Parts: sequence; C-alpha cells; structure tokens
Amino acid sequence: MSIEPIIGRYLTVEVAGRAQRIYFEEAGQGRPVLCLHTAGAHTGQWRHLMNDAEVTGANRLIAFDMPWHSKSLPPEGFQTEEYLLTTDAYIETILAVMDGLGLEKPVLAGCSMGGRIALQLAALHPERFAGFIAIEASDFQPAWYDIDWFHRPDAHGGEMGAALVSANISPYAPEAERWNTLWMFMQSGPGVFRGDLSFYTRDGSLIQRLGQIDTGKTPVHIIAGAYDLTCTPEDAKRTADAIPGATLAIMDELGHFPMSEHPQGFRPYFLDALSRMS
Amino acid sequence: MLQEIQAMPAGLAARPHLLRLGRLVSETVLLKVGDIEHYLVFDKGALAEIVPGPSKKIPYRVALVTDREALEKFWQPIPEPGFHDIFGLVKIGRAEILGDILFLVKNLRFFKELLALPREGRA
Repeated sequence: MSIEPIIGRYLTVEVAGRAQRIYFEEAGQGRPVLCLHTAGAHTGQWRHLMNDAEVTGANRLIAFDMPWHSKSLPPEGFQTEEYLLTTDAYIETILAVMDGLGLEKPVLAGCSMGGRIALQLAALHPERFAGFIAIEASDFQPAWYDIDWFHRPDAHGGEMGAALVSANISPYAPEAERWNTLWMFMQSGPGVFRGDLSFYTRDGSLIQRLGQIDTGKTPVHIIAGAYDLTCTPEDAKRTADAIPGATLAIMDELGHFPMSEHPQGFRPYFLDALSRMS
Repeated sequence: MLQEIQAMPAGLAARPHLLRLGRLVSETVLLKVGDIEHYLVFDKGALAEIVPGPSKKIPYRVALVTDREALEKFWQPIPEPGFHDIFGLVKIGRAEILGDILFLVKNLRFFKELLALPREGRA
C-alpha cells in the first residue's frame, strides 16, 4: 500500500462573471510552480513530477483542471452552450486561480496549449510570474485536421482524439504511461477537446506578441520533443528565435506529452528548466 | 504482395481486442505500397480477404498510399521521428490518405494498430 503526497482540493472563482468550481492539486513546498495541462486532458498529466521528491523538495507544484475538464465541472447552464476556449478566457482563468490561491509570482509551466498560453502571459502579464517553462509550445499551429471530427453524435470524440494524439507520443515512452496518457483524452467530455483545439488552432494572436517578451525580467525556456508532430522542434525553434533571450531544449526521445508519456525521460529537462527560472 | 501484409489477417485474428475495436468495420481499404496495391476487405473487423491489385474496378472507402522504404522505417521497433505514425508519414510527405478520412479517424486506433502489427515481429 502507498499513499501519494499529492493533495487535491477545490476552489470557486469568478471567470467572465460566472462562478467556476475548479479542482486543483498540489505537492511540495517552496517556490510555487503553476502547471497547465494540454488540450483535452487534465491535471493527471503532472502526476509523476508531483510525486518526484527531487522536484518537490524546493518547489510547490500546483496544477488545476481547466473548467469543463475532469473534476472541474462546466459552469451552470453549460448544457446549451458550445465550449470554445479563447485566449482571454484562458488568461482570466489562470489569473483567477492564482488570486484565489494567493500565488505570488509563480513559475508557470504549461504544455501544448498550456505552453501557448504561458507565452501569451509572458507577453501580456509578465509581472505576475517569476518565469515561464513552455513545453511543446509554439507561436501558432493551424490544424491539418477538422476539429469538428472530435464532437459528433455518431462517434466517441474522446476515443478519436486519443487515437489522433497517439501520433505525438514517442516510441520510447513506456507502454503503461503511453496508455495512461491516452486514457485522459478518452475521458474528455463531449466537445471539450474540440473547444480547446479551437483556441490552439485558430488564435494566431501570439505571433505578433513574441517580440515584446522581455526575458531579461522573466526567463522563457521552451522544450520540445522530436516525436511531437503537432509542435515540432522546428516550430519550437522558430518560436524561440522570435523571443530575444529565450532558451530552447530539444528532447530526442520524447513527444508531445513528455511529463506524462515518459516521466523519467522528461525529468532532467524539467529540472534543468526549473534551474533556469531562478 | 508484401509478406508483412500477407500476415495481417492472422495477426488480427489473434488479437481479440482489435477485432472488438473493429467490429463495425466492414469495408474495403486500399494499402498501396509503391506500385503494389493491396485491397484489404474487412468483415466486422476481421480481414476476410486481401485482393492483390492493380485494379481500377475495386471501390475502396479509404486508402493509404506510401512507399516500401517508408513502410520499412515505420515498422522498425523504434522508428525515427515522422516514421512512427501514419499521420507522421503524411506530415513528412511519405504517405497520402485518399478517400473517406473521417471513416479512418472514426476507426483510427483499429487501423493504426493493425498497420503497426509487423513492428512486433521485429522487436
């Protein structure tokens, strides 16, 4: 028998004038590190790092499920709404969670769409953060697929989404963690992955903001896996090159969900990233 | 016909979870490798028959068109980036998907695992 050190609780904050009951987990103590999950998934992607004593010895890792994801229920009245995440709503949610938890200048670590919004925050609200770890993050990714595939009455969007994103998992990933990672996509509520992808594949507003990021005040470190077909190393490099002073690490044996698909492979890169945030 | 593809019906039949995933698949799928056409005829998830081409007369629901070298790299136990997934092959310009791609996506896990079966024999 074992009990993990991760503690989960709920907080209710107001986002765009509506109450959002948000599930969050934390582990460790010291510098706060706010962790953002990818599209169509949840906090569980951070489970390994939150159980890693070398990480949590000096860092308080906090992760939360975005509204509509996993344990964070959709807001009241959702049943007649179309979920479409926007940059503004995403930023407001993150800042509301920080205010609700009283987080002072955390490091922000986000993966995929979480990495994208981390770079948006680096441009728009840098004073609120100590630094940014943008994992599998790039300026913009138009979709080669139809995001409507993942919300339709005649098929299971979660299963289709999982099968699609499996293209982004490295063959080096341990089989058990590959499937744990995919299960989170299978769990996704109807239309949620599509709504996240709407933000990720349609909002190109970051491109013109990259140049205004001041890494002299808040460091930006971008990490990308060679097996990521969605945010390729070339995409990450293009993005890092557009941010003066940003640093970049390419992981030869990892994919789009490194903290979840291959935690042992990812931890040195994450520890290195944390060391760059001081 | 490539021997790896010839072995697919037996490989599929030996994997009950794949047959369960493909239970709604009763269609013909074209797998074209270079100039070699393979028409994979599915019946409720089982590979009932593989009809060799070339043919202009056999209708298919969806097709994967690739080349021998790309497929050989795809079947490696640890493929290189881009060669590790059928959509990776498409992204790097080594494969094309023709026909009803939504049908493929609705049954994506089934087709991905079926096409990757030869990888297991090389591990």
